Amino acid sequence: MSFQDLLLQQIINGVSLGAMYALLALGFTMVYGIIELINFAHFNVFMVGSFVAMWIMGAMGIVGQSEVLYGLPLVGVLLVTLIATMLITGLLGVLIERVALRPLRGVAGTAPMITTIGLSYILFNVILLAVGADSKNYTNPLPRTHWEIGEAVLRLRELLLWGISIGLMVVLHYFVRGTKMGKAMQATAQDPEAARMMGVDVDRVVAMAFFLGSALAGAAGMIFGLYYNFTSFIIGYTAGLRAFTAAVLGGIGNIPGAMLGGILIGLIESLGGHFIAVRWTDVIIFSILVLVLVFRPTGLLGRAAPTKS
Amino acid sequence: MRQASFIRCSLQVAAILAFAAVAGLAGGSVVQAQQKSVKVGITLPLTGADAEDALHIKNGAVMAIDEANAKGGVGGYKLDVVVYDSGTATAGQYDPAQAATNTKKLAADPAVVGNIGPQMSGEGKAMTPILSEANLATITPSSTNPDITNPYMAAQFKPKGKAIYFRTVTTDAFQGPNMANFVKDKLKVTSVYVLDDSGAYGVGIADSFQRQAEKIGIKVLGRDQLNPKEADYTTILTKVKAAKPDLLYYGGVGQAGVKLAKQAYDIIPNMLKAGGDGIQGTSFLKGVGFPAVEGWYSTNASPHVTQTPEAADWVKRYKAKFGANAAYDDYTITSYNAALVLIDAIKRTAEAGKPVDRHNVRDAIQATKMKTLQGDISFDENGDMIDKVVSVFQYKLDKSKPTDDLDAQNRYIGVAPATPSS
Repeated sequence: MSFQDLLLQQIINGVSLGAMYALLALGFTMVYGIIELINFAHFNVFMVGSFVAMWIMGAMGIVGQSEVLYGLPLVGVLLVTLIATMLITGLLGVLIERVALRPLRGVAGTAPMITTIGLSYILFNVILLAVGADSKNYTNPLPRTHWEIGEAVLRLRELLLWGISIGLMVVLHYFVRGTKMGKAMQATAQDPEAARMMGVDVDRVVAMAFFLGSALAGAAGMIFGLYYNFTSFIIGYTAGLRAFTAAVLGGIGNIPGAMLGGILIGLIESLGGHFIAVRWTDVIIFSILVLVLVFRPTGLLGRAAPTKS
Repeated sequence: MRQASFIRCSLQVAAILAFAAVAGLAGGSVVQAQQKSVKVGITLPLTGADAEDALHIKNGAVMAIDEANAKGGVGGYKLDVVVYDSGTATAGQYDPAQAATNTKKLAADPAVVGNIGPQMSGEGKAMTPILSEANLATITPSSTNPDITNPYMAAQFKPKGKAIYFRTVTTDAFQGPNMANFVKDKLKVTSVYVLDDSGAYGVGIADSFQRQAEKIGIKVLGRDQLNPKEADYTTILTKVKAAKPDLLYYGGVGQAGVKLAKQAYDIIPNMLKAGGDGIQGTSFLKGVGFPAVEGWYSTNASPHVTQTPEAADWVKRYKAKFGANAAYDDYTITSYNAALVLIDAIKRTAEAGKPVDRHNVRDAIQATKMKTLQGDISFDENGDMIDKVVSVFQYKLDKSKPTDDLDAQNRYIGVAPATPSS
């Protein structure tokens, strides 16, 4: 393999990883932007999402990897699975917020954050008890179509991953910029008290942030399964931590920052692993995080928090 | 009013957290009995990526002990089984810290005279100093890392000097090198890329494979380490693809192995791939599944027994006990035999009129001479098996049988040679 092809291949690998981290990072960033809470339950909403998508495909009669679909049936199955998964994990996010976090809103200190850690463990253990501890062979109706660019290989599932991620990010961007709800979210992020006085229903805005973030985590869970062909109760931790790092790197609370951070972490992971050694991946990622935070505490695209009066 | 609702909500949260705490509980369960009795420990990672294989190992030991109890006990004693889970949800596989905690519990209970386990060498390394301190012997049916019984490392793993880690399998001092001989002789491999999963077993077997490979003239094109909690191995596999070795050798267990095999199928579908006993078994077969598992070679540090005519009666009894669809593998039999060794040691101790405690039972285990389904079992002064056989298998789809039937889908190829032919 020539050096250029190898580099291209590692960039393809890195961007695929990064797109997934970006989707996950958006959930952290939106919730943090609005109520300044780091939601650790997000890790495992992602994990639950991968199982939900597998079960939905199972309910449609697609099990294992032997059944390959093409054309319209494939698009239909993926679209139905994607939408249903996002709805279910979105509602799970709303439920988490309503039951466990809203009662704690206004409580000072770390109590709400600790609660999200507890919730994360609940999801983790519920799935562990429900499906067992072994890695599950994922349902995968995708054909093994691929294209060769020199000696580098671009597979259909990579294109699909990029397509879904970019599509969702664009939709989210216009939702936040263009709709009334989106503007209410921005207003609440700047100053919840003032927003409330202007007639914004802050509870609904927060619920919406949880819904959107968790729905994106569900989508990320589904493409994780389709991309890697497996899922297990334990996948939330590593991916969640990297995505959280991506959100901080890009500037927590900042939506384009989360996307940029995700792609960067993905590229650092694959290129760092290639040129140094994969066992140093975490060291490389977290060293870069520390450096960024030392020299740019607000992250790459973050601005200093608006002063609250 | 506000406060009342706040308290109600707090109670809801508390209830959920309490539920989680109960759900997450893992610990020992004790089977009670009335007659004069001694306890036998079983410590295995029953949670995590290798849980299914651990269950087969547990079944093997429980079957031998139940059979002995059904015959009226051993030398007048009923055997009570104490099971500890050394896997944790946070590790996602075996957890050495949990293994050490369990071992301390076993050591603290004077009624415990011996233990069966662990499954993994990573657990074994954490357990042996505690076992040695307590002079409590364990017999492992599957842990193969040679360091643990290496006399040069005795200060670390058996500070009291006596062997306390006995095995009914051989070690990676043979499993890795013999496989290197096999791939050179039979698969005509001239270059290899070696990966491990950063665990005690994985690093050890990858090292021993690599050393032998270099010695017999196989070129080692690269060596790298996987983080088992990582999901993505495309980076490393792209590196492997670019290096163009004849063979990818993976030293490690299921958690990283399953993901590696799936992604290897996408990136290096036509390369030869092999591993050790960490990828041998139903967990790997079911976790990877066909077509990705097709072609992978694996080894066992024991003779292949389950399909021999001598084992037919054992298989019948196993299925009668655990159900017609209950799965098993060769390490279920090594575990059954490990329990037989322990039972035999308790019996000899009792018949010699000595008190049945862990000290006498350890000495009796050391003196074991038994004929079992896997052949003769006896130990050297370090606790290693005298008999050293490494078997080679290859995953190959047999469409006429269920895809999770290990004996059908993982063909026995033969014994890996102790020396290369050329």
